[in-house]
Amino acid sequence: MNPKRLLALTRAGIMESLYFRLGIFVTLFANLIYLVLVYYLWKAIYASSGTDVVNGMTFTDTMIYLILATAIFNFLEMFVVWDMSRSIQSGKIVLDLLKPMRYRKYTFWSYTGNHVVQFFLTFVPTFIVVMIVTHGAIKFGLNIIWFLVATVFALIINYNIEMLVAPICLFTESTWGINIVKETIVLLLSGATIPLAFFPEKIRMIVQYLPFRAVYDIPLSILLGKSGSDTWDGLLKLFGLQIVWLIVLTVAGNIFWNCAVKKITVNGG
Amino acid sequence: MEEAVVMKNVCKDFKVLNRHEGLKGSIKDLFSRDYKTVSAVKDVTMTVNRGEIIGYLGPNGAGKSTTIKIMTGVLEPTSGEILVNGKVPYKNRTENCENIGVVFGQRSQLWWSLPLIESFKLLKDLYMVPEKEYDDMIALYRSLVDIEPILHKPVRQMSLGQRTLSDILAAFLHNPAIVFLDEPTIGLDVSMKSKIRELILGLNKEKNTTVILTTHDMGDVDALCKRIVIIDKGMKIYDNDIDHLKNYFGSYRTLKLKLADDTWEEMLIDEKTTDVMDVIMEKQKEKKIKDVKILEISTEEVIRKIYEGGTK
Amino acid sequence: MRKRGLKFYMSIYRKILIQDLKSKMSYRADFIISTIGMIMTNLSGFVTFMILFHNFPTINGWDYYHMLFLYGFSLVALTPVQCFFDNNWNLRFMVQSGDFIKYCFRPVNVFFYFMSEVFDVKGLGQLAFGIGTIVYAWIKIGIPVTPLVILKLIVFLFTASLFMIALMNFAAATCFWIKNSGYVMVIMFRFKDFAKYPSSIFEGIFKVIFTFLIPIAFIAYYPSLVILSPDNVPVLSWISPLFGLIFFYLSYKFWMLGVRKYDFTGS
Repeated sequence: MNPKRLLALTRAGIMESLYFRLGIFVTLFANLIYLVLVYYLWKAIYASSGTDVVNGMTFTDTMIYLILATAIFNFLEMFVVWDMSRSIQSGKIVLDLLKPMRYRKYTFWSYTGNHVVQFFLTFVPTFIVVMIVTHGAIKFGLNIIWFLVATVFALIINYNIEMLVAPICLFTESTWGINIVKETIVLLLSGATIPLAFFPEKIRMIVQYLPFRAVYDIPLSILLGKSGSDTWDGLLKLFGLQIVWLIVLTVAGNIFWNCAVKKITVNGG
Repeated sequence: MEEAVVMKNVCKDFKVLNRHEGLKGSIKDLFSRDYKTVSAVKDVTMTVNRGEIIGYLGPNGAGKSTTIKIMTGVLEPTSGEILVNGKVPYKNRTENCENIGVVFGQRSQLWWSLPLIESFKLLKDLYMVPEKEYDDMIALYRSLVDIEPILHKPVRQMSLGQRTLSDILAAFLHNPAIVFLDEPTIGLDVSMKSKIRELILGLNKEKNTTVILTTHDMGDVDALCKRIVIIDKGMKIYDNDIDHLKNYFGSYRTLKLKLADDTWEEMLIDEKTTDVMDVIMEKQKEKKIKDVKILEISTEEVIRKIYEGGTK
Repeated sequence: MRKRGLKFYMSIYRKILIQDLKSKMSYRADFIISTIGMIMTNLSGFVTFMILFHNFPTINGWDYYHMLFLYGFSLVALTPVQCFFDNNWNLRFMVQSGDFIKYCFRPVNVFFYFMSEVFDVKGLGQLAFGIGTIVYAWIKIGIPVTPLVILKLIVFLFTASLFMIALMNFAAATCFWIKNSGYVMVIMFRFKDFAKYPSSIFEGIFKVIFTFLIPIAFIAYYPSLVILSPDNVPVLSWISPLFGLIFFYLSYKFWMLGVRKYDFTGS
């Protein structure tokens, strides 16, 4: 595939995102309010606990973790399930399949534009604010680069989870149901709602090895120097986990998608 | 009350953001306050009489849909006066809706997953149609078209033709004074088109319903309308009988010549300025002519001439 | 013009509802998956709750059972918005594609007609979860059961539900001005997750914001205090029904203003 063409898609995606200008400001504002909510809740929780450190997490750690998790959530958010279900119901999916580019690739690169915009409009400002407010609680070194790498992996894994779930719409018309199941599982088990450090030991042992963790928890742990990512050994382990899941999910997604396409071609859309 | 719709100097403006090109432009637009005003309808004055079927024509983007939205009370005109059934539509939207029926493009207004008959029953309740009138209407429908095959079918399982048919029937169900039909025959096959035209004619005759029809299909116009109104770029450019329109270009003839290589050549000739025989003679000098046909100008050609700016 | 009163609207709603339920029966797989989804979200909520209390014994002076009551209360209060106003989620697609115009051609209230189109059965699962939680916490706390308390509970549950409906109306109606209002809705919808915590955690200006501007404090906290601390009910709790009605009315007006402002260029 010609990289120029892929970049053209990304560029179109960026322009499309910017087109909805008021929406961007509203999103920024709403995110800020959401963060305030998170702040007060955890402040109260820590105030009630009597100790400063719970499960190795201080209040500042927890806050940074949750705020950045929300920021990552916002910039990674995709509506592939909804998009696909709509194009299946309207029959547009047949046209999408006719485009001179593989559907999976096409969707991925058109979303990339949106991701880029969201990264600079939500993640970077949030990160800068967190940096200033916490007076350097985040170390600023190589971990930034590792974090960016981990985020790219997370993005691909997240996309593959979406693409594993979305074609289910071909078999049932339950878009809402499918989407909510996916979102609930991902949000809870990835540590986006509550840091994984707070999970009871036994549950954490299992959750640690699931792919959902690779989306939010691993990039954040790397950024904050937690989960042993401050050593080469630990860092490699985390990346290893991401890469394993990346490969497994990409292969599984490909196979499942090809089955789904067969169904479309058989049914004629 | 003789007039169904009265419009006086109606205008409608929209405010649109000036967009810039390219990636840089997109970023600039994020903060831009550069608006421009677009006039969709400019100073339109017209009257539609009760019981008339009027063809409301114009090229794409001429302002047809906007006018209809104003007449149905969905949009408020920027200036000018409008009365539909004697009332100002945007001020009395619900009231206005009781006396109108609308079929808008290919968008079905029926409940997607319900069988047609259930949609009818719900509409009957929504419009508070008395039982007797409802039964009479259904009986009338039965006499005009074969509705049995679609009556118990959910709308989402219908073909486009059946859906359009259903939408038209639903629009007439509460016996409104005016029905707006926006491109009712678009995308339909020939037999379905003529079925739908017959239905509209039948309902208009039976119930004396005023029909305002927008279409790009001159077959619809020829079959249904006695009078047409044409707008272009928001302005009314023609408003008269369809026969008058043909008289207007009455001296025009379409001349078709079959040449030696079996191809047909077509040209439009104004008999006032050019003599048809002269043209044929002239042509014969160049090439051998095997066959000649002279046709009266069709509505389609007249309309095309008007769109292209041939009037006045 | 024939008059259309409350009775007319109730009877129309009932008829549309019956038809809607009938047609939903034909999508059995969808129903099952959606129900599973609903149970999953509720379970995940509980799990989050459990994990929190696994680490922290109290939150802002509220113990486990009082928090559970608040949680159950919020679940029930969030049921009406789920059941009756779910079509708000489709609003932006309808507006963008121009299909929204069809709601303007009927001689009934546009807001009503639009909302009547969808009744979300899944919300009933949430209702069951919520009632179960309230009953369990009720017994554990040992609140006396009298007709008056039950009546209070019902009135204030109803009150509480108005706030979330209003919030979602506001969020959905933004699509008449901004194109991708999906984000606004998603974020508003996430705000509700905070309704289940005591609003005494907020301080200063944010206390005012979350009480009067984005009134999540009214989705469970203030109304439930009427039951939970009958001896010490804040004034805000007592006036919450009035406040709820006003807030709902404003959101309705805002929604309708959007309809009028919107220029329907979609076609």
